[in-house]
Amino acid sequence: MQSTKMTLRSWWSCTAMLLLCAGLVAMPPAQAATNTDKDAAIADMQRKLDESLLAIKALSERVRELEAKQTSAAAAAPAATAANAATTAAPAQRLEATEQRVTQLEKADASRKSADSGLPLHGFADVGAGTHNPINSALKGFYVGNLDFYMAPRLGDRTRALFELNTEVGSNGTVGIDLERAQIGYQFSDETTLWLGRFHTPYGYINTALHHGSWVNNSLRRPRFLQFEDNGGIMPAHTVGLWASGTQHAGEGKLLYDVYGGNSQQIVGGGLDMRNAGSPQFNLAAGGRIAYQFNSGKLEGLTLGLHALTARIEADRPVSITRLRVYGGYADYDTDQWENIAEIYVFSNADLGGSSGSHRSNAGFVQFGYRLPWGVPYARFERAVLEQSDSYFAALDGGGSYSRAALGLRFDVDLRSALKLELANTRATDRARDQYGEGLVQYAIRF
Amino acid sequence: MRSASERRRGYRYWLLGAVLCTCASAALTSDLYVVCNSNVALRPADVREVFIGEKSFAGTVRLTPADNLAAQATFLGRVVKFTADKYASLWTKKAFRDGANPPLVLVNDTEAIAYVRQTPGACSYVEAVPPTGVAVVAKF
Repeated sequence: MQSTKMTLRSWWSCTAMLLLCAGLVAMPPAQAATNTDKDAAIADMQRKLDESLLAIKALSERVRELEAKQTSAAAAAPAATAANAATTAAPAQRLEATEQRVTQLEKADASRKSADSGLPLHGFADVGAGTHNPINSALKGFYVGNLDFYMAPRLGDRTRALFELNTEVGSNGTVGIDLERAQIGYQFSDETTLWLGRFHTPYGYINTALHHGSWVNNSLRRPRFLQFEDNGGIMPAHTVGLWASGTQHAGEGKLLYDVYGGNSQQIVGGGLDMRNAGSPQFNLAAGGRIAYQFNSGKLEGLTLGLHALTARIEADRPVSITRLRVYGGYADYDTDQWENIAEIYVFSNADLGGSSGSHRSNAGFVQFGYRLPWGVPYARFERAVLEQSDSYFAALDGGGSYSRAALGLRFDVDLRSALKLELANTRATDRARDQYGEGLVQYAIRF
Repeated sequence: MRSASERRRGYRYWLLGAVLCTCASAALTSDLYVVCNSNVALRPADVREVFIGEKSFAGTVRLTPADNLAAQATFLGRVVKFTADKYASLWTKKAFRDGANPPLVLVNDTEAIAYVRQTPGACSYVEAVPPTGVAVVAKF
């Protein structure tokens, strides 16, 4: 009896084990069956596989055809010596011809893949509404944001190019078109690329990581003091000149560097102009950025950097010349969960045209974002304390001091579109003592 | 009390089960080969960097990676450690920020092998054992 029980127990053990194995084997298909997206992808791949099989069949037929031609040619060759040679050479010739044919087909196929089959055009766009316009707080209601196109043609082994064309609606409702970036570069190695043209001035994190494409940015808008030149920004967001950029492995991370020089910007009509075509008297703007990116360990995802720039800025209203000196630092913590950014800028400007001397100002922001499966909630605080007796800030429309606190939410509608909401409170602290709240919504896409 | 022979038999069944499970999971997990043109010398540790656009050169050779759609999900999960969505998003941002071009997209192993064999600097990945004429730089 005991022995029968034991045998039964062993039998059950064996059965249970086999069922477990069967379950393990069956599990992936069962999961796959529940996933309709995977089914669609598999069906698509199946279709492509069928197409490939058809192509292979066609190739095989073609090879057979060539072989037949080769054989008949060999058979038609007169004279016993030729026939004798053909008996030994024909198999080798056939093999060679087949190999040549296959090689030709492979080459044709490979070149089809790498050929310049037209330049793909990509871009970003956004529209929205708010209790105030996100850029110009004097306006309210619905707004059209940017329609931004970029092109990065495949040019060859080492030459690279990037063009960005942005159409944006100004405060008066007119549509303007800006060539935001036009840079052509030569990549010497992974460590060095040299760019010439108009590029994002490499300072801080967001000026090069984020640009006119709103979709790229998790938050609804940039910090106010880091807005673009034509949106009231106080920093020269673009430079026309020469830029060397690269990375170098260092320890468990990477050292990132940027060095650049170009035309000094001017202040025209209250906004910074980057002198796309040069200036009557060339004044050099120059700067650099150095950062370390941690790629492993507890600090993986953290980048810490320092930056500095200088330029000789002439202003038309009021007429002034300022030696702009900015330095500062930034931190970016970008992981699967977090997107935290902090940047600080210290200005130490000197009045070159008057007698007001030197002025110190500062600006900065900190932003915390947390990535959830459906989107990113974020919080940001920004502040600019700008000396109003500094002719540089006095000449800029956006040169007033302020502070802003914002809470926002990015909701990813799908892979290519995001809905963003932001509640913000802004307080102007010198030019006009004003305080206003904002409720903003933005729909941003990429294509 | 179970006799020693019954215990041994029980162990044998468990052992048999374990072997079956191992075989079953091995059958489900196929190998993935990263292949490059024969002019490319690449370390296995560099493969991920190449496909996320952080490494563009192997010595003086310009790398031109290509994704193989048929094996992409396995490659992204095993080597790049990204989801397909995150991989697509990374390249969108990289193209916009740096003017970098994403890898070409090929349909299957046959296309990947043909491309790698014929294109200097090319790298891709396949699930089938690669034929001669390409360099296998890593197996995952």
